[in-house]
This record gives sequence, structure tokens and C-alpha cells, in this order.
Amino acid sequence: MGGNKIKRRIGLTLLNVVFIILCFVGMIPILYALILSVSDGNNALSSSLSLLPKKFTLHNYSAIFIEEPFVLWLKNSVILSIGTCVLAMGTSVVAAYSFSRHRYKGRKSILKLLLLLNAFPQILSMFAIFRLFKECNMLNSRVGLVIIYAGSMCIFSIWNMKGYFDTIPIEIEEASKIDGASDMKLLRKVILPLARPAIIVTAVMVLIFVWNEYLFATTFMLNDKSYTLAGGLYQLQANDYSRSWPLFSAAAILVSIPILIVFFCIQKYMVSGLTAGGVKG
Amino acid sequence: MRLKRKLVPWIYSLPAMVLIGAIIVFPILYTGFISVTNMNLFHWSNYRIIGLENYERALLKVDSGFLKAIGTTIMWTILNMILQIAIAYFIALGLNVKGLRLSRLYKTLLMFPWAMPAYVSILLWRVGIYNTEFGLLNKILTTLGIHKVNYLSENVPAFISCMVLNLWMALPFMIMMIDGALQSVDRSYYESAKLDGAGFLAQNIYITIPALKPILAPAVIMTTFTTFKQFDIVYLLTMQKGSLTGSTLQTIITYAQQNAFVSNNYGLSSAVSIVIFVFIIVFSLFTNRGIKEEV
Repeated sequence: MGGNKIKRRIGLTLLNVVFIILCFVGMIPILYALILSVSDGNNALSSSLSLLPKKFTLHNYSAIFIEEPFVLWLKNSVILSIGTCVLAMGTSVVAAYSFSRHRYKGRKSILKLLLLLNAFPQILSMFAIFRLFKECNMLNSRVGLVIIYAGSMCIFSIWNMKGYFDTIPIEIEEASKIDGASDMKLLRKVILPLARPAIIVTAVMVLIFVWNEYLFATTFMLNDKSYTLAGGLYQLQANDYSRSWPLFSAAAILVSIPILIVFFCIQKYMVSGLTAGGVKG
Repeated sequence: MRLKRKLVPWIYSLPAMVLIGAIIVFPILYTGFISVTNMNLFHWSNYRIIGLENYERALLKVDSGFLKAIGTTIMWTILNMILQIAIAYFIALGLNVKGLRLSRLYKTLLMFPWAMPAYVSILLWRVGIYNTEFGLLNKILTTLGIHKVNYLSENVPAFISCMVLNLWMALPFMIMMIDGALQSVDRSYYESAKLDGAGFLAQNIYITIPALKPILAPAVIMTTFTTFKQFDIVYLLTMQKGSLTGSTLQTIITYAQQNAFVSNNYGLSSAVSIVIFVFIIVFSLFTNRGIKEEV
């Protein structure tokens, strides 16, 4: 059996080599941006290939805070994210619970209809929303943008959480129901703690969506004081990016870090929180 | 009391329904209305209803560009899905090989492209990788002594560039889904298959793939929709305001967006949007069986 063992060893080594190459190639765009963000301008703009920065500098990072309204954009992003999260989760948790636990006429058709509506790419109705908001004087307002974002994520949130609520056995509630607990109390005391993975994943998905959204943010917010990080960054590279390319890569790294941290914190919930709704049946 | 019990679920879902009604349903209906008018920049408020003219223009006139965009979108979706599933399948199989001690580390590293904000990734690729002057690809070519290539100036290279980027961004999700599904396959099947002398290929065709199919169907359908709807990659790589790269690559979504916000042809854009929506409805009806809800 000695030969077999050696063969296995070689196979595993090869597999490791393949994966190391794969991971490295996959990381190149990010690593490259990271390297550029800490090197001075000449390095980035020369067309010669040099992987390591000739001179290490944090100048680009400080320049973002001093020369660009980065802090302001950050503030806008945080406000919008939190506002959207509260509105979207507040409305959809209750709706998801009612879809999961109550049985009534029209329930299934509404759920199907929601799924269909969710398939409609929002960009396509952007102009209609734009015109509507213009009539209502809601352009350039954070509240308006929060409503758009919450509306866009509402269906996804309902479906995602309803799927998970369905997997929670109803018997757990029956017991409390006999004790006279109301729906709202049941939701708060029984369902929310049990459905934590789905709720966390859904909320994070909403946050990430807002954090990353640039098209509505730049179309509906008309002055650069109200840009979000995504909108500001988009603008930063749109105006003469060749000059600001190292600056842009530093900003890109800064913007991505919170998302990366959040993402890897909830990764263990990701599969169960995202698939529970779909896997059944 | 009975009436109250009946109303309760509706009251619970009312706030969400109002929100969805205002942001999703009404705009779609309004888009439908705009699609039968001649609304454009010059007819912002004094538009009139012109019937199905916009639809005619989009669907019957080849030079409107819509038919070409449909072709591009279909090819884009099919190619991307096939490559994505095939590559992700093999990577996930690799990750599940027994004795691969570092598989958790690899998994984490492979997830990075997914975790990155999409628009950041796209912009990083546009300047960092594909740019003619200081993109990494051309830096490598120059070092090797080969002349530079302009990746985004023509349709075919631009299509491939977009596809490579889409694979980079979308593979992690697929890998994770397949990896998760693989772990739910009963190990004992493989043991008995091995006893029967089934090789790697046979094990995959007769055990792994059939076992994965039902588990992965929702994820695959979801990804197909996302790929079909993909807007950011094509838009940000090739057609941002003020920095068009020269390729005229259009998917149906970018086509509708460009008509609304660049050429200000709101009527035509809305007609195209409605046609796309009808497509999606038909497509959903076909795939509906995959996402059936258990009641």
C-alpha cells in the first residue's frame, strides 16, 4: 500500500498548488489596489511592471480625508444604511411572520406575485420613480432615497425571512399561545431569537445593498454634499481618474474594509440564512 | 371577532405592501403608461398618447439596436452560467477532497471577490487591470515585449473582459453554494460505489450531480436572473458618462437605461422595459416549478 500513499501525497500536493495559484490570481486585483494605495503617484502611472511599492507612503489615505469630503460621504452612507435597515426590516419582519403563520385567501398568490415583481430590474423603472419623485419634490432628499432602498429590498427580505420562519416548528408557538401570548409577543419572544441567522443575514444584505448602491445615489442626489460613499467614489474616478487613481484605490480599500469585516463575521450564517427559504420542496 | 382575526394578517403586511406598492408596483404601471406616449426631453409635460409606436420601433426596426441587445444578453447569460457552474463545481469538489487541511483558508480567500463591493471591484478592474496605459494586463504585456491591447474598445474583447470580471465576481457565491450542497450528500453512497468499482467520473455522474440538482436549483435560478439583469459590469466598464471606451456592447438593461438617461427617449425606453418584464414573466413561469413553495 506504500505506493498508494505516495500517490495520495502527490495528489494532495498538486491540489494545494492549484489552490494557492487560484487564490493568488483571485486576490490580484485587490492586492494590486492595496499596493497602489500605499505607493506614490509615479509608481501607479508608469507603465513598467513593479509589484512592490518603491516608496511606502500613507499619503493617499490622508489625502482622502483632507482633500475629499470622505467623512461627509461616510456620514451620509451610515445615515442611509441605518434608515433603510430600520424601515425595511421593520416592515418586512412583521409581513414575513404573517405570511408564514397565518393562512388566508390570496396568500399564495401574493407571495408568487411578489416574487415576480422582484424579478423586475429596478433600473428599468428608475425613470418612472425619478419623475414621480420630481413631482413630489422628493429629489435630493435622504428620506426619499431611504424609501426607494427599503422598497427595493422589501420583497427579498420578506421572502428570505418567511422561508426561515417556515422551518421553525409551529408547536413551539402553540405552547405560548395557550398561555395567552399575543402575535406580537410571540414574534418578539419566540420567533426573533430562533430566526436570528435569517434576520442577521437579511439585515446585513440590506446594509450591503445600501452601502454599495451608486446609481440611484448619484441620480437622485443632485449635489455632491449629499453623496454616499459609493456615489462619491464613483464621482472621484469619473473626474480624471488618471490623476486620482492611487487616491481612488486608497478610497476603494477604505470603503471595502467595513463590508469585508461584516461579511466574514456573518459568513457562518450565510448558507443557512440564504437558502432555508429555497431548499425546501 | 372573526372579522378581526381575518383582518390581522392583512394589517401586519400592510406597511410592507404600501412600501412595495409605491416603489415597485406603481413605477412599473407608470412605466407601462409612459411606454405608450411620446414622452421625451422636448415633450416633458406636453406628451401625448401614441399607442404602440414605441414597441414597433423597438421590436421591428433592426436599427433600433434592441434586437441586437437581446442577442447579446442571451449569449451573455448562457455563457456565464455554463462557465460559472462548471468551474465552481470543480473548485468545490477540490475543496472537499479528504485530507486537504487548508481548505478553510482557501475558502476564505476565495470569498473575497464576493465580499468586495461590486462597484468598487468593477472600477478597480477597469483601471487596475484593463486600462491601456497603466492596467496590470498591459504592464505584463509590455514587460514581455508584446504590444499593448485595448481591451474595452471593441465589442468582442469587451464582451470577454466583462465575462471574466463577472466570473471573478460571481464564482464565490456558486462555489459556496455547491460546497454547502456537497456536504449534504450522504457519504455512504460513495463507499458502496467504490466497492462496485465506480471511478471518479461515474461517481460524479451517478451520485454527486443528481444529488446536487434539487438542492442547487434555487441558487442556479437566482444566479441566472442576476446574470441576466447584470448592469453594473457593462455600464461601469464601457459606458460611463464622459468616458466611453468605444465598444458598443449593449445588454437589454443597459439599452433601456441609456435610452432613458442618455438619449432621453423615455417612451422608447419604457416600451423596452415592459418587453423585458414580459420576458421575465415568461421565464419565471418556466422556472416556477423549481421554487415551488411547500404549504
